Amino acid sequence: MTSTANDRNAGFELRRIVRINEEIKSVVATAFKINLMAMNAIFLAKRAGQAALGFGVLSNELRRFATDLQGQMSALRQLTYGSTAIVNALVKQARFSRILDRAREQTTGKGRDILDEVVRGHHDVDLEEKRSRLKVVNRRLQQMLADTTQLVELGSVLARSAKIEAAYSGGFSASLTQVSSDFENTISLIQRSLEALNKNHREDQG
Amino acid sequence: MKSARTIFENGQHKWIALVRDPEKPDFLIDTNEYLIIDGEEALLCDPGGIEIFPAVFSALCTQFDPRRIRHVFASHQDPDIASSLGLWLEFNPELKCYLSWLWTSFVPHFGGNKETFIPIPDGGMDIMVGGLKLTAVPAHYLHSSGNFHLYDPKAKILFSGDVGAALLPQGGDGLFVEDFNQHIRFAEAFHRRWMGSDMAKRDWCARVSQLDIEMLCPQHGAIYRGDDVRRFIDWFANLEVGVVR
Repeated sequence: MTSTANDRNAGFELRRIVRINEEIKSVVATAFKINLMAMNAIFLAKRAGQAALGFGVLSNELRRFATDLQGQMSALRQLTYGSTAIVNALVKQARFSRILDRAREQTTGKGRDILDEVVRGHHDVDLEEKRSRLKVVNRRLQQMLADTTQLVELGSVLARSAKIEAAYSGGFSASLTQVSSDFENTISLIQRSLEALNKNHREDQG
Repeated sequence: MKSARTIFENGQHKWIALVRDPEKPDFLIDTNEYLIIDGEEALLCDPGGIEIFPAVFSALCTQFDPRRIRHVFASHQDPDIASSLGLWLEFNPELKCYLSWLWTSFVPHFGGNKETFIPIPDGGMDIMVGGLKLTAVPAHYLHSSGNFHLYDPKAKILFSGDVGAALLPQGGDGLFVEDFNQHIRFAEAFHRRWMGSDMAKRDWCARVSQLDIEMLCPQHGAIYRGDDVRRFIDWFANLEVGVVR
């Protein structure tokens, strides 16, 4: 791959990382919101007493879901950080390669042999090694996105179950239905973010 | 490509100036690099910015094997001084870079590791290149807060970093100062603005006046030699510096 192509790739990777980080921020903010909503729901279920026991259990699960989601996002962020570090090294190396290419054009005789030796010696090997590390990180990123999608699916199921439980909560039924609908809507926001992330990732991978 | 000009030679002891690249883009400041050779070893003074590495490298290769450069001297921390360091390390990972202790944790952003850098204490130090003893002469605040020049007592040459620098107009590409009064006009604004301390300036003038100097080699512009060295020191001593005009 030429150094210009490397630069283009690096720019592309950085833009991709920025997009992922933006989605992560949005999911983290939503997960925090779900956590607060679940805490309120737990209090509400307690007030409703025996009739809302099932709703209370589901609210607890939704709270755990929000915490797991935050943990997942933090791991995802770690991955994108690792990815940025590799891309940064690739950018630096691409610049070095570009300058060494220019030096090679201008240099004759023994100097050119020395340059060739350096470039052959470790530059290409190193570049290949970084590219394959980036591929590994990207695969892990894809796996983690799939895991997160599953986790959010579980959240969505919990919200739907909470809605059913709300219907059997006697006098508190209306307010608990409202709360469970809020859960459902908020989790669907996360699903949309994840769909966008997955779509971008699939397109970027080609 | 830059040209490599031998400005001093005595047996195996040489100073080579790497100067004037006609193909250099005009948005980059022109710089001079100096290679000091003693036998099989060499030191490169202010190796230059990363973008001009091809020009410096190709010119240097016409005179010397770059893998035999054992030392780099960085007068201070600016990008036009040492941002090519990472590339020079590609040819010799054991290369040592001498620079003010003040910058030893800043310049590694250009390349190198803990072992690469040899911090120069504020008072200066001797640096051995082959059998040659060079001296790092303090030039703090001229213009950088941790700044050194390099003196070779055998060749009687002082590498003076940004002191003596002149921003020459197009066509003014002579290696040596030929007409001091004409030349110094191109150095005046630079020194007024970049040299921040009058006290540091007077201190430097007093210090270098005690050295036997036949050539004063700045990082930009032409080299002062013979009587022009004294003329420059006197001119600088009387110049009002640290002002915006």
